[in-house]
Amino acid sequence: MTQTLPPTLISRVMLYRVTAALVLLGLWEAAGASGLFFKGVLPSTLLIGKSFLRLMGDTLFWSHFNVTLFEILSGFAIGSTLGIIAGLALGMNRYAGHVLEPVVEYLAATPKVVFLPILLILFGIGVGSKISLAALSCFFPMSLSLAAGVRGIKPMFLRVGQTLNLTLLQRIRMIYLPALVPPISTGLRLGFGIATVGSLLSEIKLSNKGLGHAAMQAYARFDIPTMMAILIVIFALAGIGNMLIGRIVRLPGPHTRHNAN
Amino acid sequence: MSDTPTLRIKNVSKHFETGKGRVTAVDDVSLDIRQGEFISIIGPSGCGKSTLMNMIGGLLTDYEGDIQLDGKKVSGCQPEIGMVFQEESTFPWRTAIENVTFPLEAAGLPKEKRLARAYELLDLVGLSGFENHFPSELSGGMRQRIAIARTLAFQPRILLMDEPFAALDEQTRHLLGDKVVQIQNQLKQTTLLITHNIAEAVQLSDRVLIMTFRPGRIKRVVEINLPRPRSSEMIGSEKFSAYVAEIWADLRQEASKGLKETEAAAAH
Ligand SMILES: Nc1ncnc2c1ncn2[C@@H]1O[C@H](COP(=O)(O)OP(=O)(O)OP(=O)(O)O)[C@@H](O)[C@H]1O
Ligand SMILES: [Mg+2]
Repeated sequence: MTQTLPPTLISRVMLYRVTAALVLLGLWEAAGASGLFFKGVLPSTLLIGKSFLRLMGDTLFWSHFNVTLFEILSGFAIGSTLGIIAGLALGMNRYAGHVLEPVVEYLAATPKVVFLPILLILFGIGVGSKISLAALSCFFPMSLSLAAGVRGIKPMFLRVGQTLNLTLLQRIRMIYLPALVPPISTGLRLGFGIATVGSLLSEIKLSNKGLGHAAMQAYARFDIPTMMAILIVIFALAGIGNMLIGRIVRLPGPHTRHNAN
Repeated sequence: MSDTPTLRIKNVSKHFETGKGRVTAVDDVSLDIRQGEFISIIGPSGCGKSTLMNMIGGLLTDYEGDIQLDGKKVSGCQPEIGMVFQEESTFPWRTAIENVTFPLEAAGLPKEKRLARAYELLDLVGLSGFENHFPSELSGGMRQRIAIARTLAFQPRILLMDEPFAALDEQTRHLLGDKVVQIQNQLKQTTLLITHNIAEAVQLSDRVLIMTFRPGRIKRVVEINLPRPRSSEMIGSEKFSAYVAEIWADLRQEASKGLKETEAAAAH
């Protein structure tokens, strides 16, 4: 869990970050100019910047962007919701957990692209199979991290619920879910990243829409600056999503001492 | 009032099967508790006090014997019985006031009523001004008082408290004892208090139950005939000290038995 730092430290952290970014940029430029790589493989940041600005004004780019965003968000929403439900069920039911969890773990370790042919048959070429791959990708980390989280809940919390004769739904809403906010947040952040990968992969393989497809097109034209600019957009998308989830899905109260309690 | 005791505990025993064999935690305990009575249970560590409380509260159901509430066998947790646990039990993601409203939310009370009652109860346990603090921002004793207020919130007729003040220093403990006396004067619940503290037991109780070291049996019941209302001021008095000495004499034997056994186990 991130701890709150005093302001002087925060500004120092910012300083380190900016320095690191500048150093990286410098290395990039140096590597590009050194002639060690094929000409054009590492275009100068200036060229990438230009392509980036051009893309920002390009309606075709934005339609690709919207397709990808829609796929990621819907896949993420579906996969996370199902993952939370499955995780609760696996964690709360000793037998279900015992029987099913090894299966889930095997599947979780499998690269989800191998399911793509099956998804294609089920949902056809198009948005459906891309969303389902994204959903499938973030289902597994969520359900596994939640099942483990459920087993880690302090028994005392559940005992308080038991003395009040809470219904199953009340227990889930008033005890399990709030107690599980940290693993849920982790699962969502992991899931968002993997859903992004899932969407882009399927766009690259079988689509004429989306950022993955646009990047591959730029690559085919050997328009490396544009491809790089698209990749930057993808990084930004994943990064911003991750940050937003971290900000929104968190426990109330002073974070630094939560775990000590 | 009828002759049926509020709580009747009849020949109750509880064994635990563990990897190292059978442990008898509670052995043939019988006890009748009248409406409004304050009873303390005192006994060496590991003698089965918490186990007994969990059975009365309906958390443990597979035991021998009978536990009756108003003449009916207790099966599962009852809304009439409130429990305060030995371990930390406040919800860290809720503020003090939200912890106290927890049972009222579950019962579906409207928000205004919930808050009104919770404010009152936090005041009663001496925590007004801390309503919006999270448990992690409060001391152990304050958290335990939140737990007490949370249990009182749904107005149980019977209150079971398992060493609620164990984590506190002697002085705070006496002052909280005064609070408990005051609360009981106001709310008149039947109360069962588990404690390790003899003075606390004498100060608060109508009867003190002394339990033996394993297997947990009732060794003696001491009636405390001190005038009420009582406060921590009487702790120095002669009569008070006589009760403390009497109970300590009994308890000493049991405690040393417990100590010997633990030492023997450690030597193995
Ligand atoms: N779930 C359990 N499984 C096995 N043994 C148990 C279990 N719960 C309690 N015991 C055993 O029963 C005995 C009584 O335990 P209990 O917690 O009731 O003691 P206690 O009187 O509350 O002790 P303390 O004063 O230290 O809280 C102990 O020997 C303990 O090891
Ligand atoms: Mg105990």
